Amino acid sequence: MQTAESGARHTPLLEARGLSKRYGATQALDALDLAIEPGEVYCLLGPNGAGKTTTINLFLGFVSPSGGQALVSGLDVATHDRETKRRLAYIPEQVMLYRNLSGLENLEYFAALGGKGSLGRERLADILVEAGLERDAVDRRVSEYSKGMRQKVGIAIAMAKEADALLLDEPTSGLDPKASNEFSALIERLRNRGVAVLMATHDLFRAKETGTRVGIMRYGSLVTEMGTDEIGHADLERVYLEHMHD
Amino acid sequence: MTARTVIRNEWRLLMADRPLRIALGLFALLLVYALANGVVWTRFQESTVEVARAGNVERALAIEQELTDIENGAEPASPFSDPRLPNVLGGRRGRHTAVLEPGPLTALAVGQSDLLPYYYDVNIYTNESSFHQNGEVESPLNLMVGRFDLAFVIVYLLPLLVLALSFNVLSEEREQGTLALTLSQPVSARGVVAAKLAFRALLVVGMVLAVSLAGILVAGDFGAPGRVLLWCAAVVAYALFWFVLAAWVNSLRRSSAWNATVLVGAWLVLVVVLPAAINIAAGLLHPLPSRVQMVTAQREASNEAVNQRSELLARYLEDHPEMAEGVVADEPGLGALAWAATDAVNRRLEEVTAEHDARRAEQIALVRRYRFLSPALLAQEVLIDAAGTGDARFAAFQSQVRTFAERWRDFFVPAILASEQMDASVLSDVPQFRLADEASADVVRRAGVPLAVLIGLLGLASAGAGVGLGRVRGAD
Repeated sequence: MQTAESGARHTPLLEARGLSKRYGATQALDALDLAIEPGEVYCLLGPNGAGKTTTINLFLGFVSPSGGQALVSGLDVATHDRETKRRLAYIPEQVMLYRNLSGLENLEYFAALGGKGSLGRERLADILVEAGLERDAVDRRVSEYSKGMRQKVGIAIAMAKEADALLLDEPTSGLDPKASNEFSALIERLRNRGVAVLMATHDLFRAKETGTRVGIMRYGSLVTEMGTDEIGHADLERVYLEHMHD
Repeated sequence: MTARTVIRNEWRLLMADRPLRIALGLFALLLVYALANGVVWTRFQESTVEVARAGNVERALAIEQELTDIENGAEPASPFSDPRLPNVLGGRRGRHTAVLEPGPLTALAVGQSDLLPYYYDVNIYTNESSFHQNGEVESPLNLMVGRFDLAFVIVYLLPLLVLALSFNVLSEEREQGTLALTLSQPVSARGVVAAKLAFRALLVVGMVLAVSLAGILVAGDFGAPGRVLLWCAAVVAYALFWFVLAAWVNSLRRSSAWNATVLVGAWLVLVVVLPAAINIAAGLLHPLPSRVQMVTAQREASNEAVNQRSELLARYLEDHPEMAEGVVADEPGLGALAWAATDAVNRRLEEVTAEHDARRAEQIALVRRYRFLSPALLAQEVLIDAAGTGDARFAAFQSQVRTFAERWRDFFVPAILASEQMDASVLSDVPQFRLADEASADVVRRAGVPLAVLIGLLGLASAGAGVGLGRVRGAD
């Protein structure tokens, strides 16, 4: 891919080249081609089993591809596990933390694992607040947190890491509308900082609101993709449903 | 960096986990109790040895005094315990107690020191039965399971604590959902698990070594650095074996419940079933002759000897021609006849006990051959050998006592046969027992073999765990 301005070869932050994954007889992902630039929020839509989570797992190196490549800043995940993970942050559908530790202690741990061990407790507490957690919740045990609060700690972990790219696997599933809105606002802020976001979601409304591009997957293939500014909420739903019928 | 981060997090998790802290506290109490048991036993053994030594001195002084009095015209206190008679001076009245001091680290591992004798009363009547009246007719494996000492806690209970701390070292992360978040960071499952286990190992091994060193400080001997190092190496290798085994099982990516079942099963097999199976096999393949048979043979020989005293003396002189020329009195006295009978009994006993000893040697050889299957047996062997309470040290002691008993007989029997009387001047020539204790270097060399095998098993488990953990990904 080449940019119009430079004419030189441009490297997307996240790129899938013919990326495939087969589990026995099941083709979970079939030759996916995808490129996500800095400041872009790419939402993957599709039913369960469409290949959304498999795509994210391939970018994280959690599973090995059966074919093709998952690239992060041009580095193949299969051969550059550590380097690519340094550039990635991940927020799963359910951010599970150490229940007996506080949100701040969890953040300290995961930030240090991510290479940000030098950030002081004050700074980390500020990041938690910036991620939407109440100041007085920072030192409370995670066992007392709601799902939304845990998601915010997940966001804080990603923010502390200052990753180039963010992988989100149905991050707003189970959140109430207010928490979902706050979550979207946080994604927006990260996008404005130039972070590339790949989000797997079932939430068409959130995809239209948060995303810059939307891709619809089915049976492991990307069946269509479009810019969110090209389409309204109702159109997106219509297109999605059209592709869900045989 | 990863290791430090994980270890700090583990510390926080430990501090937040009350049941785990209680379990560790209980284990620490068990260690202290076991050490106290060992110290009490060591003190008891030391006092017994002291009493035996004092007895040697007191008897020698009393005999010397009586001999001097007799030389000055006094009558012996009793004609049956006249110290001028060599069968009295070399017999039970003038006996010498040969003692084995407690091993340098007995407080840590009582081992066989409470089962095998650490002192023998040596006199001219000391024979093979003297060495077979101490319970060692039991299987050598039964002898290995002794008091509730530190070695017992290490061999039997330490693995259970290790497994309780680490059976879910990885599976819990997966089950509580933190594994994916962890492995989305630039770290490997291998590195994270290694750091988590390193923290737990530091905790457990640190506790055991701290209590061990405290025990050595209180009742042991820092002058045996080789033994102390051997002890520490065995503790570390054995504890790490169980930690690494837990990591290996965790790397199979099954549930915590499955891991717990498999690991407790492994503990049962390696610590309980295998040693017991080897024990049973040793008993079945090389059964010891009946103890009743041995005692009966001893009595029969004794009766026969009494009935054939004169004949026996002639046979004795035939076997010992050096005694016949001028040494033996023309008319054999009562002492010479008694000695001839004693010698006949001894010979018969040697025949009976030789068979027993051969079987026992075969049992020990079988146990030694198959002990490599059980890390518990290997660790036990190294620990008690390091402590100086293993069977090798006792066997060496017994062997030296046998030699000493021969010297003792050689000193007194010619006088018995010649019906000589002894006086105070011979007392300085009476043999004294001096134990040539084994050097630390010899112990290290001997115990190095099972320790090396234990380390080999640790290496094997480490390789399995390393390969397995290398396959662990966040999506498991």
